[in-house]
Amino acid sequence: MARQQRQALYEGMYIVSATLSDESRKKAFDKITDGITQKGGNIRKTFELGRRKLAYEIDKRREGYYYVLFFEAPTAIISELWKEYHLHEDLIRFMTTRTEKVLESLDFKPLKQQQV
Amino acid sequence: MYPKKQSSSMQSNDRQGAAPGADASSSMPFAKRRKSCPFELAKVDGIDYKDTETLKQFITERGKILPRRITGVSYYYQKVLKQAIKRARHMALLPFVADE
Repeated sequence: MARQQRQALYEGMYIVSATLSDESRKKAFDKITDGITQKGGNIRKTFELGRRKLAYEIDKRREGYYYVLFFEAPTAIISELWKEYHLHEDLIRFMTTRTEKVLESLDFKPLKQQQV
Repeated sequence: MYPKKQSSSMQSNDRQGAAPGADASSSMPFAKRRKSCPFELAKVDGIDYKDTETLKQFITERGKILPRRITGVSYYYQKVLKQAIKRARHMALLPFVADE
């Protein structure tokens, strides 16, 4: 069927369990990226934020390993991915949001202090 | 995300019924000085939920979002900020409730 596929740019943030070994964590993250590419998505940029302390406990875990992905994908696959991620055991939290542009770095400038 | 309105300062601010042309800040001793929005001053394009250092300036120690009457954030940016803080909370970058 020649269904018209709308593409959009997305940003996904993923928290993978920090208790995994480097190898199995890589495997868990590959599962995420493969899920996107197999469904017709195209990964534009990957950031690895590394191990971070969680602001609150999630499933008795205090730390997580953060990843940020920028990818282009057909809009229809996002809900499919959402279902898939919920079945993913090592993925403790995720969020996919629409973005306008791919960020080059994740360092942010502080707001200028104003003089009163 | 939200329609940007810029003429908000035109409509209100006339409560005292000051004479047109009168300089409000110098003649009225108790007139409030208008705070300026830190995001408009810095000319940011959007507020990123990953930028936790900036977001932390607009929440209390307990983790609550500060009202804009205290921070001086504009109506438009308060809504953008709210969205960013809530996203950061979901990703455990900021706490929902911080305990002392």
